Amino acid sequence: MKTHEAVVNAQFGAQANAYLASAVHASGEDLAAIAALAAARRPAAALDLGCGAGHVSFALAAHAASVTAYDLSAEMLGVVAGAAAERGLGNVTTRQGVAEALPFADASFDFVASRFSAHHWRDLRAGLREAARVLRPGGVAVFADTVAPPDALLDTALQAIELLRDPSHVRDYTRAEWEAALADAGLRVTHATARRLPLEFAAWVTRMRTPAVQVEAIRALQAAVAEEVRGHYAIAADGSFELDTLMLECASA
Amino acid sequence: MTEPAPAPTTPPVDPRLLEILVCPLTKAPLEYDRAAGELISREAGLAYPIRDGIPIMLPDEARKLD
Repeated sequence: MKTHEAVVNAQFGAQANAYLASAVHASGEDLAAIAALAAARRPAAALDLGCGAGHVSFALAAHAASVTAYDLSAEMLGVVAGAAAERGLGNVTTRQGVAEALPFADASFDFVASRFSAHHWRDLRAGLREAARVLRPGGVAVFADTVAPPDALLDTALQAIELLRDPSHVRDYTRAEWEAALADAGLRVTHATARRLPLEFAAWVTRMRTPAVQVEAIRALQAAVAEEVRGHYAIAADGSFELDTLMLECASA
Repeated sequence: MTEPAPAPTTPPVDPRLLEILVCPLTKAPLEYDRAAGELISREAGLAYPIRDGIPIMLPDEARKLD
């Protein structure tokens, strides 16, 4: 039986180092904003939920007494542990598991951050409920991810292209879906920032090792969709395009 | 001359860092079996392995206790 978790592991395990090197992941206004939030709050214990190659963990390490880097992929966590040691970040520890069942006691963290992760979770609401459970009263949770536009046509085109690129893709949620799921988890949005994320096509598919047949399908789909879809995603001749992202800062409701 | 002790399969983990860990299924505290390099959840009947110093908190990867 091939579980969703196995598909995620297969997609990311072999490419862990590519994510450490990826400019899209290693930099960005949202990453700087998460670091600034942590700098203002100086958390005692921070959680990076779905840490991937650890860019949020490394950014938090300068401002938090301790950082827990948590991910489903053992290979990613190996990369995080190695990079943390190389950078002399002794306050970063790694733990492996799924977002929907966190192995942490209630109110373990005063800062929870999650960036470019939730669209891979099997169950967004369960993951957010767990994030809320491990957050201390008065703590801050910040979620940054790629999002779908409210328009159904644009939404469907995005998910199709995402799934062709990465079979472990679950869903880029809309802002409304995010807000409903956060409310359900007992988290109150205090600040929301929408951004656009330009993606260079060749790097985007290489990072995920997308098979040639699926790369071709993406290009064919990009050429076949309506002009308004190409326009919204600013699809260029080489397939490069722009995604919508959203960063939501939350407090315990 | 005494024989050197066999190398542990996994380096010991700082017990203080394990304090906030609970069983992902039951949310109950875990016992650290240092010799075996495992985190025991009695209620769930599972032993979570620690590999390369990383606790693997996945029920699918855990050893079932007798």
